[in-house]
Amino acid sequence: MTALSALTERVIVNTYRDLDLVFAIIAPLATFVGFMLALGKVIDTGALSYPQYLLPITVIQATVFSSMTTADRAARDQSQGFGVRMKSLPISAVVPLTARMLYCMLRGALGLAAALIVAYVFGFRLNGGPWYAVAFVLLFLCFTLALSLGADAVGTRLSHVEAASQILFVPQMLLVLLSTGLAPVTAFPEWLRPFVAHQPISQITETLRGFTEGRVETSNLLTTTAWCIGMLVVFGLAAVRMQRRPG
Amino acid sequence: MIELRNVGKSFGGQAPALRDVSFDVPAGSICALLGHNGAGKTTTVSILCTLLTPTSGYAKVAGHDVVREAAQVRSSIGVTGQDVAVDILLTGRENLVLFGRLRGLRRKRAQERADELLHEFDMVKAADRPVSTYSGGMRRRIDIAVALVVPPKVLFLDEPTTGLDPRSRRAVWSLVSGLSDQGVTVLLTTQYLEEADVLSDSIVILDSGQVIASGTAGDLKKLVGHGYCELTLVDPLNVSRVAELLADFQDVESDVEAGTVAVLATDGVATLREVLRRVSDSDIDLIDISLRKPSLDEVFLHLTQPAITA
Repeated sequence: MTALSALTERVIVNTYRDLDLVFAIIAPLATFVGFMLALGKVIDTGALSYPQYLLPITVIQATVFSSMTTADRAARDQSQGFGVRMKSLPISAVVPLTARMLYCMLRGALGLAAALIVAYVFGFRLNGGPWYAVAFVLLFLCFTLALSLGADAVGTRLSHVEAASQILFVPQMLLVLLSTGLAPVTAFPEWLRPFVAHQPISQITETLRGFTEGRVETSNLLTTTAWCIGMLVVFGLAAVRMQRRPG
Repeated sequence: MIELRNVGKSFGGQAPALRDVSFDVPAGSICALLGHNGAGKTTTVSILCTLLTPTSGYAKVAGHDVVREAAQVRSSIGVTGQDVAVDILLTGRENLVLFGRLRGLRRKRAQERADELLHEFDMVKAADRPVSTYSGGMRRRIDIAVALVVPPKVLFLDEPTTGLDPRSRRAVWSLVSGLSDQGVTVLLTTQYLEEADVLSDSIVILDSGQVIASGTAGDLKKLVGHGYCELTLVDPLNVSRVAELLADFQDVESDVEAGTVAVLATDGVATLREVLRRVSDSDIDLIDISLRKPSLDEVFLHLTQPAITA
């Protein structure tokens, strides 16, 4: 326990100093405002107001974006000889990973809070009542954890600090832009629609949006749950595996 | 305190990194593991620190088997690797407190211990600056201090002075010998013979993953058996010419910067006479010619280049 709290404290102090934590709070807030101003009057989201439509993707995008510095952090812990010392300490090999994950959840929660506050100013409301609000937060944190585990595994595996985030940059951009997070599927060209409609970011933002409105669509909820559990298991196993002391 | 018996390590498919390595380090002594890059020094240390498991043989640290009792081994050791292994965004003090807590100290106790170490290592002034602002020598010192937060029985120093300027190197040396005076057993790896000579009670020489010699610096010097005949030239540009003239002697070493050439004096004075004759015949001027005991460098060359001595 001492080890875990000491290491978590370390990550927080670090990210406060290298401003990662600050950016994690500003980013979703700025994305929300930016997209609101740029697209708010352009995109037709039917009965739903644009702030209501936009919020889920801004927090999801913030998580996706943050996962790049998560990868870098894991890589740095590995490459600096710091990782070697960690592994020679009388602590469990997964404690440093757990500390990094706790930080990712904290960062996600703070970013989410910041985005919600600003979105409220623009007219966004959590209309589903407290249970849906809790579901919203839980799903968001679950996605954050899953993605952070994946990013940590990639970063640990690569251990080249510059490379880690760059490798993740292009896929994350494409997944966010080619999703139904910013615009409904009808805004995309016909041939792209099957991908846009079914890719995980679209599915998860749909579910989140449903939670803000107090409604769930069963097939969508199942898809989202499957993605989240699948990612948690696969990325979780990968991340833990990476922490093992080598033969 | 450290015991290795027939330790071997291979990484799938490649030539074995270690073959049949055996040596002991008695409690409270300093042992230097000497060898070129790739000789197997870091692999040996990694096995002793429980980071790698040996493919054959066994190793014990502080009485515990490094594979079966890895947890006990980890509680008895301090490690500093080749890279400085502290968090450079944290201050020196924060690093000490962090690692104190990771070794199970309560926050309060970790803070007190950090203060003690900062005094001991003369780093009070820099204590509250991030390590990223430290010089190489200071980083090395804080790194060693971190390894000592909870005094280890055995301290592993992997190339502790690589990349340091001579002054910082001496500072690290006096630090290390001080530790051994306090009863800590130290295993250090180095490429510098001088370091092994000055610092250690015993030396183990590794080459291509095998122990090729071990003993005290004195023992190793005796292994060569002969002294060296060394010439100092007036004109350093002649060094390669002289080296050519003497090419049929054993262990020919030339140092262009110092303007010296040395050969193994297998026949003592007779070697000296022959060397002098050849050099005088070719009209090369000398400042000095002498017979002397081998340096550890020469022991090393002698042992790692069997082809020349054959």
